[in-house]
Amino acid sequence: MNRPALREFLAGCRDEAPLLLGAVPFGILYGISALAAGIPAWLAQLASAVVFAGAAQLVIVQMLAAGAGMLPTALTSGLLNLRHLLYSASMATYVGHLPRRWRMLLAYLLTDEAYAVAVLRYQARPPAEGLDLRHWYFFGAGFTLWFAWQLSTAFGLVFGAAIPPAWELDFAVPLTFIALLTLLLRERPGQAAALAAGGGVLLFAALPFKLGLVLAILAGLGAGVWTARRREQA
Amino acid sequence: MMSTLALIALVVGVGAVTFFYRYAMIGLFAGDRLPGWLHALCRHIAPASFAALTASALFIDAGAVSIALDAPKPWAALIAALVAWRSGSVLATIGAGMAALYILKLIL
Repeated sequence: MNRPALREFLAGCRDEAPLLLGAVPFGILYGISALAAGIPAWLAQLASAVVFAGAAQLVIVQMLAAGAGMLPTALTSGLLNLRHLLYSASMATYVGHLPRRWRMLLAYLLTDEAYAVAVLRYQARPPAEGLDLRHWYFFGAGFTLWFAWQLSTAFGLVFGAAIPPAWELDFAVPLTFIALLTLLLRERPGQAAALAAGGGVLLFAALPFKLGLVLAILAGLGAGVWTARRREQA
Repeated sequence: MMSTLALIALVVGVGAVTFFYRYAMIGLFAGDRLPGWLHALCRHIAPASFAALTASALFIDAGAVSIALDAPKPWAALIAALVAWRSGSVLATIGAGMAALYILKLIL
């Protein structure tokens, strides 16, 4: 790594730092609730490295705790992660020229938080002195989040064993979903999607392995798309 | 609870799918464009998923709908939702919801 590349890398680390304020409590909560759900600590830590997607990991924990089957859990978390396809498409023009190993590394690190920081850099500033080193910035931002995520998971796992079940800390997971949901409900299609999905859960509750959850989310997607299209036509 | 082997398969499977999403457009189908309907669909994934998970955590008990007025969790969730709406902060929401849960468990 030469000096300008190091400077870009460190700039990425620095600009990612404020976003850790949101990510670190998430990681701790994930570690605590994974233990509460009966997932072995080593496997919960491995999931943070392999999946590396906070919301999906919380969903997996939440569903396993509720006794969901493997397929509904995989479908729900897979559906939730579909948004990364959008980030990938958005980043394609910026990193498409890089060697394959760079593209694979940056793809692995492409989370909500790293995307948010890196895309701003790519949009705001043309490469300095003709040489494009902005992938080092992307790498710095992604690595910073990765490191904090692994560490906060470990912290939650160590800390979580000492917390008595009566504290009901796993209730913090649905509370997190409520907070994220409220932020998403500013527009009519989002409201329709949430309403249909919430109603669908009650409607399909009797289906085995929590398959009703998958159906309810699909119903929500349908309602959201339909409402958005109707508003476009109006 | 499923076996450890099944859990490993789940983690590896979700991890592989997630990496596929992240790598798809910058590696596999570089130069292609996502179809418009997929863009439209992705916008609704988060609200639909979070609403379904919240409703499931609050009102589903062992595969059956259970809406009880004397259960503390739905009320704590309602208070948390109000705090989320006013503050827009995830941490404040969790704090208010947990505090409400502890107080309601003493009262109800």
